[in-house]
Amino acid sequence: MKHSVNRPPTPDGVVDQGKEPTLQEIINIKLIESGEKERLMELLRERLIECGWKDEMKALCRAYIKKKGRNNVTVDDLVHLITPKGRASIPDSIKAELLQRIRSFLVSTAL
Amino acid sequence: MSSEINGQVSPQPCPHLLDFRSRNGFKPFRAFQDLIRVKRPGGLPAIRREISEVPRCCTCEESSRSRLYACVACAAVFCYAPPLHSHASAHALSNPGHEIAIDVDRAELFCCTCRDQVYDRDFDAAVVFAQTVTITATTSTSGCTVMQCNIAGFQPENLRKRRRVDNRPCSPDSREHVIIGNHLFSLHDATNASLISSTEIPWGLRGLNNLGNTCFMNSVLQALLHTPPLRSYFLRDRHHRYYCQQKNGAINGTKSSRLCLACDMEAMFSAVFSGDRTPYSPAKFLYSWWQHSANLASYEQQDAHEFFISMLDGIHEKVAKEKRKSQSPGSGDCCSAHRVFSGILRSDVMCIVCGFTSTTYDPCVDISLDLEPNQGVSGKSSSAKSHNSCNVEADCMGSNQNSGISTLKGCLERFTRAEKLGSDQKFFCQKCEVRQESLKQMSIRKLPLVSCFHIKRFEHSSIQKMSRKVDRYLQFPFSLDMAPYLSSSILRSRFGNRILPFDGDEQDASNELSSEFELFAIVTHTGRLDAGHYVTYLRLSNQWYKCDDAWITRVNESIVLAAQGYMMFYVQKVLSYKASEKQAAS
Repeated sequence: MKHSVNRPPTPDGVVDQGKEPTLQEIINIKLIESGEKERLMELLRERLIECGWKDEMKALCRAYIKKKGRNNVTVDDLVHLITPKGRASIPDSIKAELLQRIRSFLVSTAL
Repeated sequence: MSSEINGQVSPQPCPHLLDFRSRNGFKPFRAFQDLIRVKRPGGLPAIRREISEVPRCCTCEESSRSRLYACVACAAVFCYAPPLHSHASAHALSNPGHEIAIDVDRAELFCCTCRDQVYDRDFDAAVVFAQTVTITATTSTSGCTVMQCNIAGFQPENLRKRRRVDNRPCSPDSREHVIIGNHLFSLHDATNASLISSTEIPWGLRGLNNLGNTCFMNSVLQALLHTPPLRSYFLRDRHHRYYCQQKNGAINGTKSSRLCLACDMEAMFSAVFSGDRTPYSPAKFLYSWWQHSANLASYEQQDAHEFFISMLDGIHEKVAKEKRKSQSPGSGDCCSAHRVFSGILRSDVMCIVCGFTSTTYDPCVDISLDLEPNQGVSGKSSSAKSHNSCNVEADCMGSNQNSGISTLKGCLERFTRAEKLGSDQKFFCQKCEVRQESLKQMSIRKLPLVSCFHIKRFEHSSIQKMSRKVDRYLQFPFSLDMAPYLSSSILRSRFGNRILPFDGDEQDASNELSSEFELFAIVTHTGRLDAGHYVTYLRLSNQWYKCDDAWITRVNESIVLAAQGYMMFYVQKVLSYKASEKQAAS
């Protein structure tokens, strides 16, 4: 691993010599820099809307807000409500498609 | 906690936001305006110092957290993922005045102390401005009017004559009182031939004889006979066959000029509302319609929707020929049929490369909706059910049932959803001057007085040379609010539900009539494509009646809700007669 190339930019005023970037970090940065992350996000958005997942989550939020009252709900509550459910209800086909895309990206960037 | 500005509710700021604004005066978010990046036209706005910056939390240096916030006071970025990592809240706690932050990936304001989203007009205006600048990049704009005029899609239009619907109370004078008294007769004297046993029989309920596979016509006619604005139009003699024929006779006595579907309609209204309960035979009307739509003239079963369209067309043609003046399409000034049913649809086609949007307006007399394709959300219901971590979720799933039931609202949402046109349907972009892939979105610019929703149940495939019927059940509500499908709502949500700066938007003015609608008639179809039957359910005096050709029976609303809807007729709530609510009290 070439440290000088893969090291993320140091934050202002802090010189940290001990921190190694994790693999996850490196992949994340590569995805962003190449613009692939943006494309994957767009693709995911499109697929989730198409299959009705977004509508389902919306309906869940609406029902919750209706129950609790509009002024008693925060964004955090909604995030906590739909995160587990949302993660579990993503269709397998979408997961497979995105994993495939990420896999081919990793192969092409020759990490 | 929220205030209304021009009918649009905007949330009140939290005390921390108010405090921030008061300390930072004019244009408090100016520093961030330049950092708003929109990666591609129509894309989501993000906050970045440089375009390809990877934002990371100052404290833990993580960049892959799902929510990262930039403090508006010191521009430091922190993560927010309670309960484990919430350095944004820690920052707010230890630095008073640093409570407000911006989500770097979504450009939305957040109060780290209140732990909730907050909204600010100036901020939203800045974000919308940044989003539209990428779209209208080459058009030269003058600084201050750019937000009002050149936001994609909000071109100011010439003030059109607003069509007002005023229901003036009737105040007859003494002479008219006498006439009314002489012509009123009690409903209790009504003669036989109806299967309604109760004495409270609604006015104008009369069976229609089947003249040979004409249930397609009878079903639509029953719905039209009880369409409130149409009913008042004809019963108030706005079009009377006597005067119409006199006029035609005077101009030229040819057979074609005497043909007038509106006259036949009026004759039918008179007959149906006469108080006579024996089934009526709409033979004259059928004959006239055959003459108008010669290609459909046969004893074969026809499509009810096709009949509906051709009938409205027939009424329009005849009247428009006479009036001969140019009317703006969709205004409904041309004829009675259009005055009641005509609305305007807006279609936005946006080039995904440059963001140039082409907007067209088309008048329509109904909205044809697709049922969702069969695959839908398979395999989800089983996994979702196993996650009942809180009681609320049980209710939520209950409201969505198997997530497999189609609803009318779902169809409308799909109708107004932004759809990516396939690569084989490339749209010619005026700015790029070449065919590009595009995004199309429909919305309702102007609501008609009566909305007719046609569900596309009959599929004809010329490729496979076969036709089939989709029997899939569609759930529909008795009351429907069309506000989310209006152009103003759709456009607002395109920018991520920002508080948009154009107050008193002229578009909203034409929809000042409420967007709430009530169902009053539904045409249903049972059976196969080639051998089926149409039946109409009518709602009168808060009771439902099944109109099966000559047979009219009172039915429970559960039967109506279970029926297979083909055409649904909704009338603006303000126009549905108060008499129909009379029985609700009892």
